[in-house]
Amino acid sequence: MSRIRLVAIVFLALTFSAVLFADFVAPAPYAKQFREVPNAAPSLKHLLGTDDLGRDSFSRLLYGSRVSLLLAPAAALLSTLIAAFVGGSAGYLGGWFERVALAATDLSLSLPWLFLLLTVRALLPLNVAPVTSVVVTFALLGVLGWSSSGRVICSGARAIRESDFVLQAKALGCAPHRLILRQVLPNLQPVLSAQFWTSIPIFIIAEANLGILGLGVAEPLPSWGNLLRGLENWPEVKASPWKLAPIVALIAVVSCFQLIFQKRENLAS
Amino acid sequence: MSRRMQIVLASFCFCWLFVSTAAAQSGGELRFSIQSEPKTFDPMLADDDSSETIRYLTGGFLIRLNRQTQTLEPELATSWKVSNGGQTISFELRRNVVFSDGTPFSADDVAYTMRTLMDPNLHSPTADPFRSVEGQVKIDVKSPTAIVLQFPGPVANLEELFDSVAIVSAKSPHRDVAGLGPFVVAEHKAGSSIVLRRNPNYWKRDAAGKPLPYLDAVHLDIQQNRDLEMLRFRRGEIQLINTIAPDAFDRLAADMRSAAHDAGPSFDTEQMWFNQVASAPIPDYKKAWFRSQNFRRAVSQAINRADMCRIAFAGHAQPAAGMISPANHFWFNAKLRPEETDVPGALKRLADDGFHLDKDVLRDRDGHAVEFSIITNAGNKVRERLAVMMQDDLARIGIRLNVVTLDFPSLIDRISHSFNYEACLLGLVNVDLDPSTQMNVWLSSASNHQWNPEEKTPATPWEVEIDRLMHAQASTTDNKQRKEYFDRVQEIVADQAPFIYLVNKNALSAVSPTVRNAAPVVLRPQTYWNIDSLYLAAPDPSGRHGE
Amino acid sequence: MSSGENILSANISVDYPGKKGVLRDVALDIAQGEILGLVGESGSGKSTLSLAILGLLNLKGGTARGNMAFLGRELTTLSEREMRSIRGRQLSLVLQSPHSSLNPALKIGTQLTEAWKAHAQGSRVQCRRDILSALQMVSLLDGESLLNRRPSELSVGQAQRVLIALAILHRPVLLIADEPTSALDMITQSEILRLFARLNRELRMSILFISHDLLAVASLCHRIAILKDGEVVECGSTEMIFNHPEHSYTRQLIAALPAAPARLEEVVVYSR
Ligand SMILES: Nc1ncnc2c1ncn2[C@@H]1O[C@H](COP(=O)(O)OP(=O)(O)OP(=O)(O)O)[C@@H](O)[C@H]1O
Ligand SMILES: [Mg+2]
Repeated sequence: MSRIRLVAIVFLALTFSAVLFADFVAPAPYAKQFREVPNAAPSLKHLLGTDDLGRDSFSRLLYGSRVSLLLAPAAALLSTLIAAFVGGSAGYLGGWFERVALAATDLSLSLPWLFLLLTVRALLPLNVAPVTSVVVTFALLGVLGWSSSGRVICSGARAIRESDFVLQAKALGCAPHRLILRQVLPNLQPVLSAQFWTSIPIFIIAEANLGILGLGVAEPLPSWGNLLRGLENWPEVKASPWKLAPIVALIAVVSCFQLIFQKRENLAS
Repeated sequence: MSRRMQIVLASFCFCWLFVSTAAAQSGGELRFSIQSEPKTFDPMLADDDSSETIRYLTGGFLIRLNRQTQTLEPELATSWKVSNGGQTISFELRRNVVFSDGTPFSADDVAYTMRTLMDPNLHSPTADPFRSVEGQVKIDVKSPTAIVLQFPGPVANLEELFDSVAIVSAKSPHRDVAGLGPFVVAEHKAGSSIVLRRNPNYWKRDAAGKPLPYLDAVHLDIQQNRDLEMLRFRRGEIQLINTIAPDAFDRLAADMRSAAHDAGPSFDTEQMWFNQVASAPIPDYKKAWFRSQNFRRAVSQAINRADMCRIAFAGHAQPAAGMISPANHFWFNAKLRPEETDVPGALKRLADDGFHLDKDVLRDRDGHAVEFSIITNAGNKVRERLAVMMQDDLARIGIRLNVVTLDFPSLIDRISHSFNYEACLLGLVNVDLDPSTQMNVWLSSASNHQWNPEEKTPATPWEVEIDRLMHAQASTTDNKQRKEYFDRVQEIVADQAPFIYLVNKNALSAVSPTVRNAAPVVLRPQTYWNIDSLYLAAPDPSGRHGE
Repeated sequence: MSSGENILSANISVDYPGKKGVLRDVALDIAQGEILGLVGESGSGKSTLSLAILGLLNLKGGTARGNMAFLGRELTTLSEREMRSIRGRQLSLVLQSPHSSLNPALKIGTQLTEAWKAHAQGSRVQCRRDILSALQMVSLLDGESLLNRRPSELSVGQAQRVLIALAILHRPVLLIADEPTSALDMITQSEILRLFARLNRELRMSILFISHDLLAVASLCHRIAILKDGEVVECGSTEMIFNHPEHSYTRQLIAALPAAPARLEEVVVYSR
């Protein structure tokens, strides 16, 4: 059991350091087009082959992981914080505040986001550096992606508000801020971290979809999202299975995170 | 080798040949997909691809453009003559032709067709090109086989227009179903399929005198999804695909070599242009770049078109020489060549305009770093690849290019209403041979004059010149004279580069090896333009595809 | 039987939004050092009464009318802030179900520390000393090892003791115990009853002991109040209630008892 956990930790540590030091690890710049060898199979020079423009897939995977591994958790954190604040206070305070907050959540769940995002894109200037586009994209995801988590957290917080231990703590004279800090948050923590971890892959995939609307990470910067878009073409992927590397990396990283996190949960309960 | 001879030979040695010839005589049902439900079955109202397909397969025409030779051929008219400066056309009609319901065909039917077509209340898109001047068409039936049409003013490219006028019967009691084409509509399941049956009264015969078409029926499946279409083709459920994307084409070619047909460069172009609209909400110094011929040509020279063809199109494209594709045999200006990639040349042109390189960054006279964005429609993978390749090419001359993909409506809004963009990358689908249909692109007052639409007065001397030449070519029916004018337009466009033409896509299609006599071409309809002489070979049990 | 100053004297009526008159003019007096038993069947309003005294009825949506004098102060006129400084310090509550009243996510030590910090300031050492002495008071002797455990790692009896330790941490004047024994087995139940008797004896703590178990109440309490459908139908000393019940409901309750009064005597003996 703990061996699996160790493997996960080592894997993540290796991944993170490879990704952080991509400038030294990557065999080629992510945007360099080796135009003589587009769509090449893996070789010593190109460990994972090249993409349809001859760019080194391994380097792009490293840089793309950097973008996604740093920004998807940041966006997930942002959206979880918003969800925790809105959902948590709605559920804990109850009353009209809960009704208003839940109405806001429902509204934001039912909004035609596609349309709104397109409007947002229309408002953004065209000359945006790729790095800015990345940050804007994930910030948008973070700001907009809270509503479904918010609902889950709200019902969690409501259960806590109605619980005996909160009543007991109140009867012992605990102050409201201590109640939130010590009674509510520790009990919401499993919900919050579950929301956080599930948001990460969702945001990575959402970013890929936004790319189709011209909202994602701009070329030539790679991200897991736009690398995954390279998998749209199943017959091609079947013929060249090494192209699955981005999705393998995504699954591996997310499940490693989940392994470590679940172990902590088990200890907790 | 005569057909009789073939049969004799086949019965002795080439069994497969015998089988396929026998199949030709027993017909067969050809299947392929159309992308959407036809909006109409009335040939005079056809405006969408599917309706035009139905018209092509069921209509009888006076004159037909041979899609392979790109020349006009007699059909229901055995001969014709244009006179009076392109205002009058007289037809001599074919004898002993009857409609699918048995009603005989005569000059009265042509008269009736033209009268109906030109009725302003019908709003026929087919009629529009005939209306150069207000007024009535004078129709004069000289005899049952001779008719003269006189238009109120000269009509550009008059004879070729009859390629889309399907003749309807004046007298048939079943006027809406009686046709003169190879097939008639037999069955229509809304949203799913259309079955066309062989017209038993079709007038055309093959060289051996056997009545055409060979096929018993054509089955059209309404299928929007291109991937499913390809899947069904691979399964042998359909036999033709008119256009295929380069990637899918290569995959098909890898598995079914003989089914994939690359007919060479098509009329379609991929091009980019800079926004030259005076009122556009972009900085003045950028407008100055975009108005500079040297800047536009330098960008054009920095682009590696050969790489684009090889990489983005997997070799199924050719560097474009200009606005007219070399595939357009008559109208292409053969003196033009695709712009060669020439980085030093590009830098020299830029230097002439006061640009200079400062540590790998190109700066203009006032020190502004040269950076611009190019918009293109999201979801078109090939076009996105082109944009990213341009990004790399332009970095070589110190220009930073930002690629922005937009959904189509926002893109159209930017290029035709708000003009809030700097450069745009799009493709243009060309269907007509004749440049007269391109008036709405090249006249400075035109709405499709994308780099600067609907100008009150031409902004530059060369636009004045293009306006003059386009009007001049429209005012004569002498094609040699028109070609001279139009060659000049092509030269000016190449020199000024208001549109920077990148590539001509190849016409890629798929034809099942069981379809005989197929000869895919670049003009629409690429695979079934010769529908009346196509036939299906019986399935070959040995698995070999004899050719 | 002690009779001194009344530390609590209340007369309360309670309405819930969906249900009016859940308590109707319920009058209670508790003297210094006295254990008052409150007996009533399920739904008679026992928990409602305890919440009303602590001023926590608003959590359930209820509203209380009437007056409650506690140590000479009128509780109904106090601000929430002043009420908070009373709760847990002078007036404590032990809830019905031991496990759900402890926070599952926190260690026992943390929960005790939280309760300590609610009314005390001082060093960690002081806090720890107070906590350990409270644990000792409720007969949890291996307190040290307990502090690092979570509620799920405790038995029900241990959890109930921890809950009582939380409530007596600041030596309250009045402890309200809402059915503290109903979730326990017979042996543990009698241990807890003995614990309450000891707290009353050693700390001179007044206790409002709420239960539907007349026998348990009789073994522990000086006086008994019988609550029926939101009204106190009878109130008097334990002997009075048992020997001369006046109200028919009280008689009914006594008749339903399984054991003979002889056994009652025995229990009463060790509770004193
Ligand atoms: N939040 C509430 N809203 C409306 N009615 C309530 C509410 N809480 C309790 N009641 C009602 O008030 C009455 C008294 O409830 P309470 O919980 O005080 O009874 P109890 O004597 O403690 O019962 P038990 O022995 O089951 O704990 C019951 O009839 C109950 O239905
Ligand atoms: Mg109760």
